[in-house]
Amino acid sequence: MKSRIFGKISREIASWQVGAIPGFTVVGLVILARATGLLQSLEWGAFDYFLRLRPAEAVDERVTIVGINQADISRIKAYPIPDRELAVLLQKVQKYKPRAIGLDLIRDVPVKPGHQELISELKNSKNLIGIEKVLPVTFPPPPTLPPEQIGFSDAILDTDGRLRRSLLGTRTTQGYKYSLTLQLARAYLASEKIFLTNSKRDRHAMRLGDTELPRFLTNSGGYTGADAGGMQILLNFRSGDRRFPVINLNEIKTGQFDPKLLRDRIVIIGVTAPGVDIINTYATTGIDRMNGQVYGVEIQAHAVSQLLSAVLDRRPLLQVWADGWEYLWIVAWGFLGIVLGKLTQSPGKNLLAVGLSGLALLGMSYLLLIWGWWIPVVPALFVLLVLGPTAIAVYQRDRTLKSRIQERQFIIEHSFTSIHNGPLQSLAAFLRLAREQDLPQEQLIVKLEQLNHEIRDVYEFLQQEPLTQDRSLYLNKGLAVDLQAPLHELLYQVYCSTLERDFPCFKTLKVKIQTFDPVEDLRLNLTQKKEICRFLEEALCNVGKHAVGMTRLSVTFTQKEELYVLQIADNGAGIVSTSTEGRGTQQSRNLARQLGGEFQRSPLPPRGTLCQLTWRRAKLRKWVIGSRKS
Amino acid sequence: MAQNSPAAVKQKIVVIDDHELVLGGTLDVLKQQYPEAEFFTAKIAQSALNAVETYQPDLLVMDLSIPEETGTTARTDTGIQLLKTLLKKYPTLNIVVQSSYVKALVRIKPEIDAHKGGFTVADKSLSSKDMLTRVDWALQGLTHTKDLKSMRSALEFKPEWLTVLTLAFQEGLQDKAIAERMCVSERMVRHYWTKVQDVLDVYPDEGKNIRIQTEMRAREEGLID
Repeated sequence: MKSRIFGKISREIASWQVGAIPGFTVVGLVILARATGLLQSLEWGAFDYFLRLRPAEAVDERVTIVGINQADISRIKAYPIPDRELAVLLQKVQKYKPRAIGLDLIRDVPVKPGHQELISELKNSKNLIGIEKVLPVTFPPPPTLPPEQIGFSDAILDTDGRLRRSLLGTRTTQGYKYSLTLQLARAYLASEKIFLTNSKRDRHAMRLGDTELPRFLTNSGGYTGADAGGMQILLNFRSGDRRFPVINLNEIKTGQFDPKLLRDRIVIIGVTAPGVDIINTYATTGIDRMNGQVYGVEIQAHAVSQLLSAVLDRRPLLQVWADGWEYLWIVAWGFLGIVLGKLTQSPGKNLLAVGLSGLALLGMSYLLLIWGWWIPVVPALFVLLVLGPTAIAVYQRDRTLKSRIQERQFIIEHSFTSIHNGPLQSLAAFLRLAREQDLPQEQLIVKLEQLNHEIRDVYEFLQQEPLTQDRSLYLNKGLAVDLQAPLHELLYQVYCSTLERDFPCFKTLKVKIQTFDPVEDLRLNLTQKKEICRFLEEALCNVGKHAVGMTRLSVTFTQKEELYVLQIADNGAGIVSTSTEGRGTQQSRNLARQLGGEFQRSPLPPRGTLCQLTWRRAKLRKWVIGSRKS
Repeated sequence: MAQNSPAAVKQKIVVIDDHELVLGGTLDVLKQQYPEAEFFTAKIAQSALNAVETYQPDLLVMDLSIPEETGTTARTDTGIQLLKTLLKKYPTLNIVVQSSYVKALVRIKPEIDAHKGGFTVADKSLSSKDMLTRVDWALQGLTHTKDLKSMRSALEFKPEWLTVLTLAFQEGLQDKAIAERMCVSERMVRHYWTKVQDVLDVYPDEGKNIRIQTEMRAREEGLID
């Protein structure tokens, strides 16, 4: 029992192995492509696209952008904006008591007129953060600002020129520095008693209050070998068309805005005019619906906003799986591709299954991204789409090959059975006769001619007999019997036809006892019926060859309730027992096993041989359907 | 047996043959022998079945080679199929099969063996006198299938027929006791006897005891010691 289960399992494994080679190859190639960065741009593309596809979020109520737009510049007729204009702007903004101001404008050198006024305004603005640039080309911050009021505005772009990350802090020649984003968030959160600390899990990472900031690593997500210097996090853009309130310079001057938009908020002042401070990204639409481009000041707003929302609203920050899990995920989808290839029987169904699985993968990746997880969708989709169709091709080919081998085996078995039950039996009888006595020439020729015919007949039977719908049983002298007939009739035909054959031991027969009980609904399929008929034929041939001096032969097929007995008994000399089991005996044992019954051949005292096949009526309902169908 | 005397009850006989001439000839012979009987005829398998169904005859005389329907050619297969149906539906019907190729009946030997009514076979080349004898035996419920046996072939029995022989001649039991032993009706035992007699080629003969004849033949064949 155990070995049978084990055999079944090992056969099952063997049948899967065919898909292993293409499976390993494709998954291996995709993993290699990913590891060498070939898939990076595709993964970035999918990432940007999914981010953009997300449902819109509410307008941020903590961050307001004060943008100096093209109209403002035209009105002032000067660029850069003179220091005096800026000083006035700061004064007006400060009146509404914002919690922090980010001055996203380069003021390392005086822009006259009004430089002194700006200096004094900056001195009075303890809630203002100015910018500098630290990597690798630098510019200094506005003069007079103390270090805690300075943040860098460097952005790290990817090799495709797009922004997906936010740099929060970095080591410089003048020590460790924070970005404008982080400085603004710190200033805002400080009034909520939330402070920046080091992460407990990752000593290079940061923590705002109890919110861990997931540090960007060199191979995070779809990235391969990216510069992960300093403390970076992925930029989880705020989605939707209106993300931050925007007030322009003129509106501030003329007081045409809602004071609520400034009070107790973070106000970021920057330029929102084309051609000045532009960042490329496809992950969000620009303020002015510029395709793929966003003003630098808005990027600052996104970066600050994602920190504040993460800490205060528990809005997710973007995270990725560890590399091991990512590759396991890819392998799993490759495996699914192979499974679909193995289980689906037709290319159409396979295409449908692979298509549906692909959609499920995309949907799952999208949902996970909304919840803050960026998982490898492109490589997984790739292995699935390649392996599904490949696997079905491979398995189909394997199945065809196997069925051909099976067919071949069947033909061999079938041919041998036909030869064994026909000419071989006659030959055996003839040999026996020849050994016992000297045969005259004519008789020899007659016998050989008879054999010649029988062998030719076999070829004809095989020709006639269709392999697939094998509904006939071919008996001696080309007699064909329809296997659809009830078993007792078939057996009678076999009995008559076999007894007519020219076997030496039949000649002494004086009394035949036969009965074939009529039975209905035996629950046997055609093959089983055929095998039972062949069993009787074989048994009678044996009697004809070995039952020397037989005078009485009894052939009975009887039914007692659920038990069927096919019995052949003679009173001849019987088979001289040989050490090896003949092929006929093996066939009989196989048949008995198949029917769940028993085969028995034993001497019958005082003289004779009993050959008996017993089986019970099948109980399974399933079987009945099977036998009726066939 | 009641049917034995032609005058007692009005007998009903169905004759099936597709040949007008042969049918007429058979009818003439039968009418002379059984003047009191009622005769019905059929030429095709379908109407034959209907006739048997409607008249419930005491005897059926049929040709094996008949057409299925009017217009189709006569085939032995059709007759065999019809006979098979009749044997199954009317297990006690007395039947005489007339044919020029009686060997075809070998195919349904098991059904004939199981039939409880009279069953005799008459080759068409038989003389009228012999034919009438077969008809008479069939009416008596006897079996006569000697013509189906091949010359050198061994005697063929059903196990229960041999049991009857053994019980009667080795243990000396009478039919009633045999029936009790075998758990069958006495009528069934009588039916077995007719089958045994047919196998041993023992048929009614003027002035001879059929049981004793049977015993002698059985001993001759070594069926009983």
